[in-house]
Amino acid sequence: MLKKRLVFTLLFSNGSFMLSRNFRLQRIGDLEWLQRNYVFSNISEAIDELVILNVSRNEPQMDQFLSMLKELTRTCFIPIAAGGWVRDTNQAQQLLRSGADKVVLNTPIFWESGLVEQLAGQFGRQCIVASVDLARSETVGFEVRVDSGQRALPGGARERLNWLQEKPIGDLYLNSIDRDGTGQGYDLEVLDLLPQDLGVPVILAGGAGNAKHFEAGLRDDRVDAVATAHLLNFVGDGLHKARENLITRGIQLPVRDSDIRDLRATPQ
Amino acid sequence: MSSSHRVTIVDIGLSNTWSVLNAFQYLGAGTEVTSDVKSVLSADVIVLPGVGSYRQAMERLQESRLGEAITTGSRDNGRKILGICLGMQLLARSGTEDGVTAGLGIIQADVAPFTNSEVMGGKIPHVGFNSVRPTGGSLLFDGLPQDPDFYFVHSFRMMPEGLAGAASLCNYGIDFAAAYEHENIFATQFHPEKSQANGLQLLKNFLEA
Repeated sequence: MLKKRLVFTLLFSNGSFMLSRNFRLQRIGDLEWLQRNYVFSNISEAIDELVILNVSRNEPQMDQFLSMLKELTRTCFIPIAAGGWVRDTNQAQQLLRSGADKVVLNTPIFWESGLVEQLAGQFGRQCIVASVDLARSETVGFEVRVDSGQRALPGGARERLNWLQEKPIGDLYLNSIDRDGTGQGYDLEVLDLLPQDLGVPVILAGGAGNAKHFEAGLRDDRVDAVATAHLLNFVGDGLHKARENLITRGIQLPVRDSDIRDLRATPQ
Repeated sequence: MSSSHRVTIVDIGLSNTWSVLNAFQYLGAGTEVTSDVKSVLSADVIVLPGVGSYRQAMERLQESRLGEAITTGSRDNGRKILGICLGMQLLARSGTEDGVTAGLGIIQADVAPFTNSEVMGGKIPHVGFNSVRPTGGSLLFDGLPQDPDFYFVHSFRMMPEGLAGAASLCNYGIDFAAAYEHENIFATQFHPEKSQANGLQLLKNFLEA
C-alpha cells in the first residue's frame, strides 16, 4: 500500500535559510548553519520528501538558489521539490537540472497563461506541485493569497480549489498563513474546502510544532503528507524522534532499517 | 566497497541523470554519464535511467544507436545492466504508449498502462513510497528489511506473467513487476536513487551482484 509522507520545507532567501511566521521572514543561517544543525544525509533519513523554496521577496537571485540546491541535493536520496519565482518552462528546467524532481508553483498556478499545462506536457503532471496559501477571511471563510501571501484572490478558497481540480498537477500543498510558524498545529478546517473527489495527494502545511500535530494531520483520510517549515522546532534529531513516534503509533510511513551514512564509501 | 566498479550511465537526454550519478558516487563507484556509443560498448556496468515517453525514448535509443550498444553489451557480451523506471520498461519487448512500440527485447515481457479499474480507487500515476515483496533468493534485495519501501512514479508497468527471471512484486490494486533480475540483467520500476537507505543498499547489492 502507498505510504503517507513526512515533508520538510526549507525557505531560502538571499543566501540564508529563513524562519517564517505568518509569512514574515526571519533570517536563521546559511547552508553551513543548516548542515551543522541538521546534517543533511541525516535529516533525509527522517523525512520522505524535501521541499526547497526560493522565498526571496525582491529579486529571484536564481544562480545562488540553484547552486545551493545542487549542493544540498548531492547527498539527499529522496524526492525533492523546488520552486519560487518559476515563471516559464526554462526556469522549471533549471530546477530539474539542479537536483529537483518536482517543481513547486504558487502564484502562476492561478494564471490563465497555460504555464501549468505546458509544464505538465513537457515533464508530466507528477512533476508539478501546486502550492496554495490560505488565510481566514471575515467575508468568505477562507481566501487564497498569492504573491508571497500579500494579495488575496477574489472569491472564496473553495471555488479556487475546485477550479484547480481541472489542472494537470501532481500534488496539492496547502498552507495556512494564519498558522504558519506558530507551532499551534495544523488548521484542519482547510481540508473542508477540498473538492470531494480530488484526484491528487494533499500535503498539509502551516503550524506543526510537534509530533502530535503531524499525527493529527496524517490521521485525516484527506491528507497524504504533512509538512513543516519550522527550522527550530525540529533541530538536531527532532524530526527523527517525531518520525519514530509516528511509526510506533501506527502511522504508515516508509520504513528503513539502515542509515545511509553506513553506506557512504568515503565519509567526509 | 570496492571502487573498481565503473558505472556507465546512459544519457538519452530525456531524464535527470544527476541523482543516479550522485547515488553511485556516494557508494564509491567510478562513474560516467555518456551518450557515446563506444563508451556504452566498452562499459563494465550499464545503467539505463529514464522518465517520460516510451516511444520518444525508443526513438532516441534507435537514432543514436545507443539501443544497439546496450543490447550488444548486456545480452551478447554479458555486461551487467540495471534499467530504472522507464529504463526497466525499455528493456522489455514492447510498450503500449501511443500505440505499440518495440522495446529493446532484453527482458521477455510487455509493458501496459494501469487502468482505473485495476488500481481500485488509487490515483494514476502511482506516485509515492510503496512496499515491495522481494522474490526468494533475490540478490538486489539482500539485507533489506521485509517488504521494503521504495519510491515509485509511473503510469505504466511491466506485466509479471510469464517472466523468465525473478520478479519482485508490488501491489497497487493489482500486482506488477517492481523489480526483475536474471543473470546479468537487473531492473527496477521504482527509483532506488530516491528511496533513501533502502535504495542505496539495493544499488550496492547491484554493484556487488
